[in-house]
Amino acid sequence: MLTIKVLGPGCANCKKLDAIAREAAANLQLDAEFIKVSDFAEIMAYSVLSTPGLVINDKVVCAGRIPTLAEVTKWLTAITNG
Amino acid sequence: MDIQGIILRLVQGGLGNLAAYLAAHVLLCLVPAFAIAGCMTALIPKDTVTRFLGRNTPKFLSYPAATLAASVLAVCSCTIVPLFAGIYKKGAGLGPAITFLFFAPAANILALVYTGGIIGVDLALARFFLSLAFGIGIGMIMALLFRREDIAHDALTDALFAGQSRLRSEVVFFLLSLVALLLAGVLKLEFLTRSYMELTLPIPGMEGFQEFLFRLVPFDPTKGEEGVTAQGAILISLLLFIGLCSWKGLENIIEGANGWTWTALGLSALTLLTAASGMTPQPAGLVIFFTGKLFGVALSLALITYLARRYLETQEVRDWLWETWRFVKQIFPLLVAGVFLVGVIRQLLRPEWIQQLAGSNTLAGNLAGVVFGVFMYFPTLVEVPIAKMFLGLGMHRGPLLAYLMADPELSLQSILITSSIIGRLKTWTYVGWVALFSTLAGLLYGAWVDGVNVWSITVYLFLFLVALALTLYLASRRNPSSSAVA
Repeated sequence: MLTIKVLGPGCANCKKLDAIAREAAANLQLDAEFIKVSDFAEIMAYSVLSTPGLVINDKVVCAGRIPTLAEVTKWLTAITNG
Repeated sequence: MDIQGIILRLVQGGLGNLAAYLAAHVLLCLVPAFAIAGCMTALIPKDTVTRFLGRNTPKFLSYPAATLAASVLAVCSCTIVPLFAGIYKKGAGLGPAITFLFFAPAANILALVYTGGIIGVDLALARFFLSLAFGIGIGMIMALLFRREDIAHDALTDALFAGQSRLRSEVVFFLLSLVALLLAGVLKLEFLTRSYMELTLPIPGMEGFQEFLFRLVPFDPTKGEEGVTAQGAILISLLLFIGLCSWKGLENIIEGANGWTWTALGLSALTLLTAASGMTPQPAGLVIFFTGKLFGVALSLALITYLARRYLETQEVRDWLWETWRFVKQIFPLLVAGVFLVGVIRQLLRPEWIQQLAGSNTLAGNLAGVVFGVFMYFPTLVEVPIAKMFLGLGMHRGPLLAYLMADPELSLQSILITSSIIGRLKTWTYVGWVALFSTLAGLLYGAWVDGVNVWSITVYLFLFLVALALTLYLASRRNPSSSAVA
């Protein structure tokens, strides 16, 4: 069971990242729980200086930009296989 | 006047205002500004600046770095708020964080270029330099007032600010080519505004079309109003096409470009070229003037395309286009709606009211500008057309600057977000200082506009600072522990 968190106050970039992450998880047919984190104290706890941030199983994989679908797929497979 | 007549007049006011803001000279500054903002957000690695914002950086570096971060990295709240929280909680502390928060809305590239293009370069420069000085000043005062608490944060590590990315020189050249596009379009130098050739396109009925547009949206040149010209109508329809193509071509640009992307980019280039040329409808057809501007814009566009293809990676170009499109999508619709409403409201306001309240550079006038700025919330950049309206209605440039300093920095919305990060006491202290300093900025700039010599202004400023230092000194003596409790 994966936990995927999208960090960000809810601007266009965060929504975009959320959509990409969901698409990647669906393509891989992964059972994942999506959590939207918009509280700044919680975002700061991940030591992220700029949003959007992507957190897979409590590990920050990307922050401050929107990754491509291919990148997210790569991260997801790496984590599920490792 | 009957109701119908009044409504017609209001709508015409709104349309007229919109037309003036979509006119050629505005597009020439706004379109490149969006591209520059997108480039800064997408291609400048954040840690080139944030590494100077860590806990162990000396103050003389962290304050200027905060202003640099504000003008380069922060165009939208997605960047401002997390970075503000990061600097405050894990980085250089409250002072630089406040400097960053204050400076970001006033000094980002979009706000400065737009203020300069619409109201005047003098006001844009005043806004920039006074925000710079006062941003650092307020940051230092806040750090001094709440110094005890800031020490508590020191235990945290510095790792967050240890990034070492480098800004590639190719990106710098690309950024400079975008700046060249901006300057070629907006500078009013003789060799740029002169026409070198003219060409008559035999399109019949253009003159009649323009007269029809003038009747549709009447205007009064003596009040500085502009009508919709034939050129303006062409530009507006081009903008609509760009919007449609961008929706299909840029919405998923992160995954790759498609035919719509190239159409949208081609149309944007065409829009800039159309805006840079001169057009006059005549009975024989449409006369097109090949101005120096047109050649400048064409050259810059060629340079931008060359640099992007030759030196930037595909992913970088995609990121740049996406950020640019995101800014356009986020800001432009609100700007259009805001400008239309400003045009409507302008018909309802009487110049006497504004002139009586803030027609001269008085303390009350400046305070009125500040209070209006603090409690009103307008979307990014809409403060500029509002300021232009006040100027047209007879507001003095001093109170106008006071308003422009206070409005983007403070709104009820931003006060709430800020207080969730740094607490209510600190937020309201900050609001108080911004109000005070904005009033002062307006008074000083107003005095300068009225022709008071620089020395007396310096003396005023000096007296004010002495009074300020005394108050701070007394406050810290009388109540030494209050800040620690807060």
